[in-house]
Amino acid sequence: MIRIAAVGDVHIDRDVLGRFRPALEELPDRADVLLLAGDLTRHGTEAEAKCVATEFGGLGVPVIAVLGNHDHHCDEVPGVLAALTDAGITVLEGDSIVVDVDGTRLGVAGVKGFGGGFAGRCASEFGEPEMKAFVRTTGTVAERLGAALRDLDCDVRVALTHYAPVPDTLAGEPLEIYPFLGSYLLGQAIDSAPTDLAVHGHAHHGSERGRTPGGVRVRNVAHPVIKQAYSVFNLAREHVSPSAASGI
Amino acid sequence: MNDYTEAEVQRALAEDLGIAEQGISVVRAGAGLVLCGEVESPHRRDEIVRLVHERFPGIEITADIGVTRAAAPTEAEELA
Ligand SMILES: [Fe+2]
Ligand SMILES: [Fe+2]
Repeated sequence: MIRIAAVGDVHIDRDVLGRFRPALEELPDRADVLLLAGDLTRHGTEAEAKCVATEFGGLGVPVIAVLGNHDHHCDEVPGVLAALTDAGITVLEGDSIVVDVDGTRLGVAGVKGFGGGFAGRCASEFGEPEMKAFVRTTGTVAERLGAALRDLDCDVRVALTHYAPVPDTLAGEPLEIYPFLGSYLLGQAIDSAPTDLAVHGHAHHGSERGRTPGGVRVRNVAHPVIKQAYSVFNLAREHVSPSAASGI
Repeated sequence: MNDYTEAEVQRALAEDLGIAEQGISVVRAGAGLVLCGEVESPHRRDEIVRLVHERFPGIEITADIGVTRAAAPTEAEELA
């Protein structure tokens, strides 16, 4: 079994330092890895990212993150990335990592993602340059997520995004803002590989559980949604190799 | 307060760098505004109320803003 802890939208700044730490001290007893689903900072300064590094660094389990829209606000992404990676936090954007958990290979592919909306009610790459650029941005990152997921050589495959890949986990948000909360293109990318679990954040008023059209389980782990320091998902090892299964 | 106040308050909460909150709903109730949602610290809740009072003087504010709990989970979800 692989135990995956996850939380998003912690929006850390100095005033939050230490709030997660007591629960994080217990994390290695409960989980093998921690996923951070973006919006790690309040508005994307290097100073805030250093607070994230203090709060979520040195946990004793691998910490794998994607950035969120808030982490981009102050245009300090290189400084934010440096602060996180210096603390040993892996930040994914169109790439992936494989972590060995007691002989089972957990693969995580991640992108921040972007908006655009969901099937039947989505934006199209049409009209003004600004509109086309908006939709093209999502298309490009979704393609990178799909490729990263398909290229993974692992036993358990997880997709990590900030924006939502399905509308199910947005229930509770106003319908009018769905196009700013996620895109079906992310869901399609997740369905293009044998993904076991998709984790996202961003929708603070959304709900926890959903499913892609292809049947992949989706969990919104935004902190105001889960209302705890992190959620833990226990995934059975589904892809045991034939030799291991027969005990040879 | 006018018909655009809710929108102005909502944008101020997101765009003021000392606040940067997109998760607070702003609803008109009688002559005042109700602010609803969750933030990461008591300090942020106080700052939101202070900013709205300062930028929109004279409007009665009811703040129903909670601080998101950050305790360890009591159980895991089994995904077979
Ligand atoms: Fe957020
Ligand atoms: Fe976000």
